Formats: sequence, structure tokens, C-alpha cells
Amino acid sequence: MLLPLSPYSRLLASRALVRALAGRELVARYRGGALGFLWALINPLLLLLVYATVFRFVFAPRADVRPYALFLFAGVLAWAFVSGSLQDAAETFRANGPLLRKTTVPPEVFPASAVLARLVHLLLALVVLVAATAVGAARGSVTPGLAALEFPLVLALLAATVLGLALAVGALSVHFADVRDIVANLLTLAFFVTPILYPVASVPERWRSLMRLNPFATFFSAIQDTAFFFRPVALADWLWMAGTAAVALGGGGAVYELLRDSLAEQA
Amino acid sequence: MSAREPAIRVRDAVKVYRRLGRRPHGTLKSALLPGRARAGSGGSVTALDGVSFDAAPGESLGIIGANGSGKSTLLKLMAGIVRPTRGTVEVRGRLAALLELGAGFHPEISGRENVEIAGLLLGLSKREIGRRFAEIVRFAGIEDFLDEPVKTYSSGMAVRLGFSIAAHSDPDVLLVDEVLAVGDEAFAHRALERFAELERDGRTLVFVSHDLPLIADRCRRAIWLDRGRVAADGPAAETVARYRDHVAAGEGERRLGEGPGGERVGSGVAFISSVHILDEDGRPAGRLRAGKPASLVMAVHAAEPLTDFVFGFRVATVSGTVVVGVNTALEGLSPARFTGAGRVTLSLPSLDLAPGVYSLDAAIHARDGAPYDYRRDVLRFEVTSDIAAAGVWSPSRTWQFEGDVKWQEAAAKPRRSTDG
Repeated sequence: MLLPLSPYSRLLASRALVRALAGRELVARYRGGALGFLWALINPLLLLLVYATVFRFVFAPRADVRPYALFLFAGVLAWAFVSGSLQDAAETFRANGPLLRKTTVPPEVFPASAVLARLVHLLLALVVLVAATAVGAARGSVTPGLAALEFPLVLALLAATVLGLALAVGALSVHFADVRDIVANLLTLAFFVTPILYPVASVPERWRSLMRLNPFATFFSAIQDTAFFFRPVALADWLWMAGTAAVALGGGGAVYELLRDSLAEQA
Repeated sequence: MSAREPAIRVRDAVKVYRRLGRRPHGTLKSALLPGRARAGSGGSVTALDGVSFDAAPGESLGIIGANGSGKSTLLKLMAGIVRPTRGTVEVRGRLAALLELGAGFHPEISGRENVEIAGLLLGLSKREIGRRFAEIVRFAGIEDFLDEPVKTYSSGMAVRLGFSIAAHSDPDVLLVDEVLAVGDEAFAHRALERFAELERDGRTLVFVSHDLPLIADRCRRAIWLDRGRVAADGPAAETVARYRDHVAAGEGERRLGEGPGGERVGSGVAFISSVHILDEDGRPAGRLRAGKPASLVMAVHAAEPLTDFVFGFRVATVSGTVVVGVNTALEGLSPARFTGAGRVTLSLPSLDLAPGVYSLDAAIHARDGAPYDYRRDVLRFEVTSDIAAAGVWSPSRTWQFEGDVKWQEAAAKPRRSTDG
């Protein structure tokens, strides 16, 4: 078995456990509250309402993308997945220390289940996005198209990228306490250099190739394309995203595999 | 798997832990600046230093030793949680580790949901968990609380559930770390029954415990680890006895040599730390004069107060013929209490044995005969005499002759067989 891919083959074998652990996080998180799982829908809905209100009455919305709140929504939800996954991954081995030290599970199930739990959150929030888009379409402010069907594939490639990064971040954070803070700060920085608050079109031409160096930039421009502008993703973008996902999976897997043996000792 | 293939195979396993100094985690700075890392690091600890053994399918193996002797590290190596620094550790078949009962439980979700996750953590499929679910719950006795979050469980309930899941995970190799210390008596009993079932099914059980009577009782074989090395590997009762002797010696008690190939059985509830024979002057001796006073002495120890105990000695020839067996029960003594360290002395006014070499057994056992510590052939001693006798009994004696019976002067001066 090729070294960088072996964590994924083990994950495939333990997929029932990954699912169960992710489910446990979700269930444990929402259990007990009167509204329970509804919060997974209410939270993004309230976020959307805040955007809609703020950009209508407080800040002037961008003129190039309307309705700006809806434009913002898809990107912010996807970013919450990226940022939440990587921050959870930085904590997951420490949080699951007893399991790591006392059971024989392959450790990669923990970052993988953290990513999966965040992905489920995103998918639930997308229900709100779809509903809001439908309302927007009914009011004639957006015109959904078939390109939206490409959105799940963009998301899948993004999730693969995040999984690879999560394995590396998780393993590194066990060995180096600084990784957690570095990741948190990099994510804050990345939020502004990734096309979330603004469309790619508003970025000056000469900066765009530089922007590509941010691994998330292409994903988020593709998310804007498929979830808001409803235009097909360019072939070059597809290749770029697929390549990013492959590099993240391979590189993350390799870093993880190198550090794996000592996880149970250090966590 | 064939019965001849070991279920566990450990070869020259070495585990060295790097010590990272006071900080539990290194920092990037310490990694990037090697000089600082060296200054802050505390060297390394060798937890296991060349351990080798096999365990056969169906074998129950106990691992004993002081804290820090490497028991838990060995268990983690077998469980695959950590890897050996050098050497190999192979386990064949499905493995379940009872290292911490309920380690996988999430307090906020129900017992039912936790059973599923704990089962998956142990490597069961969802279908297998479903099939065993009712039995797991019944065994743990938590039927009424199944849908309550685990945070509402008593610690006993959580432990029972954790045990039940692992014990029903159909392992080929089950690793158990000190987990029976918790839980009530009745559950411990059921747990032991379950272990016995697994053993009968040809599963390999490995127990790590400080509960020496449990190891002596439960395991066929035991390994004593001392500072990362195998100090003894053999029948459980024997290994436990040797470990105890070692501990006792460490506590300042004098440890006498054991008999040649002395066999030792018993639960270890009470144990014999030393046995010796005193001559007529009260000195330990290996050679005694026939017809002279002698004393058999055993230093004994009961970890807990005992109300059912019998002390006994048995003398046999080296070929195995029993000369005499005596014990306190046969003497009509009814036990009331025995605890802590003690000394049992059997005084013989006259050692009426024929010249030869004899073997001594010493024992502490229950009235029904169940041994606490039975030390066979614990000592050998030689009996000497000016006159010979066939057999084993050389009683004090005189000859008398009536009728026309004459003896040559020098050889047949009628004499007493003893001076006493």
C-alpha cells in the first residue's frame, strides 16, 4: 500500500466507526435542547437574517452582487465547514486522548469524524441556502440554473482537501502545541484572501494568479459560480481543484502516517 | 488458525519512551531549535527491555510485576496502541482490549448509542453488535437504563456495560488490565465465569493485575516483569510465589533457597515465604542426626485475615514415598484467625528417620484442601546415623534374645539404636 494513502484505506475499513463518532458528536451536541436538531437549521437561518439586515440597513451592499446576503451566505457556510473542520482536527486527538491511549482504534477516525460532523452541519445549513435561493428566485432576484448541479462535486473536492489537511493538522498539533494557534490565525487570514466576501471578478486581474496560491480560492470561486451565479465551473478550475485535493490528501496522509505511531504516546 | 501457532508472539520487544521534559507537548520552536529541545528534554525511559514470549490459543496468561515494571506498556504493545521501538509483537485474530472499561463512552448519549460506538471501537460490525446487543445489555444488567444518557449511570453500571461489550466482542485475544478491581462481587464473579467460557472456547486471555491471588487462581501461566525484563515465566502459582518471595525479600525478610525444582501451587491468599529445618541446637541445617530433636519451621504470611486455614508439613523420600504428613487440622486444631506475618514451628523430640535424603513439603491450605500456598519439595535434608536401617522409619529400639542365640563379641554388642 502506498504510504500516503494507507490512512484512507483504513478509514474506509472503519467507515462505520467514523460515521458513528460523527453522529455521536452531533447527537451529543443537540440533545437536551428543546429545539434539538432544529438548531442546525436555525443557526444558519439567523445568520442569513443578520446578513440581510446588516447589508440592507447598516452597510451599503456591494453593487456587483445582488442580493449580497445570499451571495455571502453560500461562501460563509462553506468556510465555516473548512475552518471548523481544521480547528476541530487540531483538538481532536487531545479531546479523545483516553480513547487513543486505551483502545485499538486507528487514530485517523478522530479527525475524519470531526470533518464528517462539520460536513453534516454544512449539508443541513444548505437546506436553508436552497430555501433562501428558492425565495430569491420567486422574487426574481436570482435565476437558478443547471450549473447548480455541479455544486455537490465542488463540495466533494473541498471535503477531500479538508480531510487531507485535517489529518496533517491533527497529527502535527499533537506534537506541536503551536499548531492550533497557527491554524487559527492562518484561517482568519485566509478568510479575507479567499473569495467569500467578494466575487473573484472584483479582484484585479494581475492578482488573480497570485490568488490561486491560496488553495481555497478556486474552491470558493467555484462555489460562487455554482451556488450563486449558476454558471458552469471552468475546466481549468476543475483541474486545479482536483489537483489541490490530490495534493492535500497525499501530503496530509504522508504527514499523518509519519507521526501516527507516536500519537497514542503523546496525545 | 492452527492450534500450534501462537496467538501472541512477542520477540525481543523493546520500548523506549522519549521524555519531552516538563512540557507535555513540544513546540515548533523546540523542534526548529534543536539546542533548546535538547536542553529541555529529559532523555528517555526504557519501559521494556527485550521481552519475548508466546501465548497459545486457549491459554490464560497473567502478567505481574511492580508498578513501572512495564506491564501496561507490554499490554499496549500487544493491543497495537503503541509500537515496539525494536523487536516484534504479533497477535493473531481479533483482538479486544479491556484497558479501561467504558473508555469510549460519551456521557451525553444513551447507553444504547454508546453500546454501538463501543462495539465499533472494538472492531465489531453493526450487524455483529445488533446480534449481541440483547446479551450485552442483559449481562451488564442495565436494561432499564438503556435509553438514558450514560452520564446518569453509576460508575458501576458504566463499568459493567463496558466489560459486557468487550467480553461479548468475540475476541480471539482478550487483553484485560486491572479492570475487575471495580464493580461489585457478584459482577466480578460473572466476569470470571465469562473469562472461563472464553478460555474454553480457545480464546487467549491476558491479564495484567496486582491482584496476585486472582492471577494465581485464574491463569494457567504467568509472567513476572521486573524493570522491563521477564524475571519469571511459568505456571501462574509458581511465578506468583517467586514474585512474592522477591517482594518479601525486598521487605527485609530473609529468603532461603528453594528445593530442587520445587513446585508451588495455591491461590496465594496466604503464602509461605521461607521454610527451614532446625537441628537440635536450633540452627538451620541441611544434615541432621537421626534420633535427635529437630524442628520444621515455616515463615507464613496472610495478606488478609483468614478464618479458614491449615498448616501442614509432609516428609517424603526423594523417590516420592510419603513418610509422614501432619497438619493442624489432623491435630484437631480449629482455625480462628490468621493474619499478617507469622511463624509455624513443628517440633520433633526425636527425628526417627532412617539415614537417607528426604524431601519436605510445606503447605497452607483451606480445610477443604484448597491450597493457599503448597510448596512441594521446598527443602531437602539428609539424615545420618551410626546405624543403618532399611525403609524410612528408624524408631528408637532395643533387641532382646531368648534361647540359644549367640553373637560375636565385636560386631554384635547389643546396643541401643540411639543414644537417647
